Amino acid sequence: MPEPSAATLIEESEETSSTTPPEHQEVRTGRSPGQVAWARLKRDKVAIICSAIILFFLLVAIFAPFLVSLEAVDPITGAKADPSTVHTELVDFNGLPTVGASSAHWLGVEPRLGRDLFARWAYGARPSLIIGFVAAFASTIVGVALGLVGGYLGGATDKVISWIIDFFLSLPILLLVLAIIPIMQKRIAAGNDLTPEQTSAIRFWVLIVILVVFGWMGLARLVRGEVKSLREREFVQAARAIGVPTRSILFREILPNLVGPIIVSASIAVPAYITYEATLSYLGAGLVEPTASWGRTIADAQNLFATYPLWLWPSVIGLSLLVLALSLLGDSIRDAFDPTSRR
Amino acid sequence: MLTYILRRSALALSVIMATLVSAFLLFFAGPSDPAQAMCPETKCNPARLEAITKSIGLDKPLIEQFLTYFKGLFVGRDFVYAGDTVHCGAPCLGFSFVTRRSVNEELFTRFPNTVVLALMAAVVFVTVGVTFGILAAVRRGSASDRGLVGASQVLGSIPYYVLALLVALYPVILWNVLPQYSAISAGVGPYFMGMLAPALILGLVTSASYVRYTRNSMIETLSMDYIRTARSKGISERTVLFKHGFRAAMSPIATILGLDIAALLTGTLITEQIFGVDGIGRRGLAALRSFDLPVIMGTVLIGAVVVVVMNLVVDIAYSFIDPRVRLS
Repeated sequence: MPEPSAATLIEESEETSSTTPPEHQEVRTGRSPGQVAWARLKRDKVAIICSAIILFFLLVAIFAPFLVSLEAVDPITGAKADPSTVHTELVDFNGLPTVGASSAHWLGVEPRLGRDLFARWAYGARPSLIIGFVAAFASTIVGVALGLVGGYLGGATDKVISWIIDFFLSLPILLLVLAIIPIMQKRIAAGNDLTPEQTSAIRFWVLIVILVVFGWMGLARLVRGEVKSLREREFVQAARAIGVPTRSILFREILPNLVGPIIVSASIAVPAYITYEATLSYLGAGLVEPTASWGRTIADAQNLFATYPLWLWPSVIGLSLLVLALSLLGDSIRDAFDPTSRR
Repeated sequence: MLTYILRRSALALSVIMATLVSAFLLFFAGPSDPAQAMCPETKCNPARLEAITKSIGLDKPLIEQFLTYFKGLFVGRDFVYAGDTVHCGAPCLGFSFVTRRSVNEELFTRFPNTVVLALMAAVVFVTVGVTFGILAAVRRGSASDRGLVGASQVLGSIPYYVLALLVALYPVILWNVLPQYSAISAGVGPYFMGMLAPALILGLVTSASYVRYTRNSMIETLSMDYIRTARSKGISERTVLFKHGFRAAMSPIATILGLDIAALLTGTLITEQIFGVDGIGRRGLAALRSFDLPVIMGTVLIGAVVVVVMNLVVDIAYSFIDPRVRLS
């Protein structure tokens, strides 16, 4: 957290000491852009509905084991449902499930492997959310750091950084990511005999690293541009003139002015990464079995979509609704920070 | 002007070179055993490993391998493998040991399908996006404006591949409302009809952002003084909107359009895969499944060149439209 700058201090003291009667509240002076945005966001109905949906999925992901334990004991297997145990006794010789949706399996069981679909769905929310938030957080840090350095130092450093940004932006990223992931995986796993769980875990982290490596450029370019104009402003010049060290100038003078665009960019990045993960999983370069993932489930279920829609639809709805809510919330946050938008 | 074009071209060339070098390093030095990685089988027999190593010189130093590859891009090269000699004309992108054909043959024969799909989608998203964008801008604040903006936000926010998949599964495969893709050899009519479903969904989803671009650009233009002047002169609203407003509002859209078409030429991957369109994206994905590194590398290179060249063209074209960018 940046230290409160002079402006917010004055304004906080104003607010704490204010015993202003209601009719004077219309005169609002010196609120920080963050506070203005927060106030606008709280009044935005779309933002509130979206937050509720996101909260719902967060709770599903966190309490997945508890939710799954609410399902009844299966009368055939005599066991409680869990996301990874294979029950071939629940499918016929064609691989189609012999049991439908019931109190033991709220969404039925998976064709061919007989795993509980509700458990796979609830646990499937986890990788999406973790990848979305971790990758967004990491790429925000990388983007801000490179943007700050390039924009503030200028000269050769800036030239190199902007060239790297241009270079990364011109790559066909989806294809490259699809190609790099298996190569990296083979490099890491070379020579070791790994269990499917270990392979799956390696893939999970490889995926996050790759998403960050190819996802920081947009924010870096934005921050670089902003910093370039901010460093010429009087307050930065003044700080430099009285000998404030570069580090403090960057983090105490310049960065607090960029909080708006950074929050907006991070909030838009989360659904983008979740979409990316699901797309990669669908195309076969994302998460691998036995990790439960919505993208993988959609890829597997599309072959039986007509005969067994219960396999496909929960993941389709979960993924679409989560990404939709996150994107619309991102749009609302952007509008809230944008002084020209009056909806 | 000339210096601007030269400077911009030099930058583009450096990016292409860097892509080439890094793609080469990734695919030829990235795997711990490149010959094994390019072999069609998971456990390659020694004779075949040697044939692969020999045919592209994997035993030679990396720099020499790169120079051979680089030279092949300009003059072509021959591959000797499994008793055959395959000629690969310039720009030679390599040789696939899985299909035993040159990468050029694998990719360039499929590129037209990708271009057709991208252009058909572009027609859809430009017409739909610009029309609805203008409509929303003209009726700013009304229910239809809010409806259009809301619909475009929702459409643009749902993961694209899920939408495309649902369209492919239900209207195309299950209900047969729209025909499935068929190769051009089966007739021109069925070919374009088969392209309709993928082009429509790709175009509609892309149009979501165009509705918003156009709306914002148009609103900004319509609030200009010269529009007020035009209105006060008594010119009909139609002329004001289309002759004065539309033209000025379209120049930023034109720039985005160039970049989006470039992005589409490499970004139709998912659409091609889901609808079975035989383009380079689908070929690249198939290569990925068989770990056919030379083909993947060829696809990456074609994609990068298309994006860089389109960027260059757009930048230069824009510097003619708006001279200020040359100076910055």
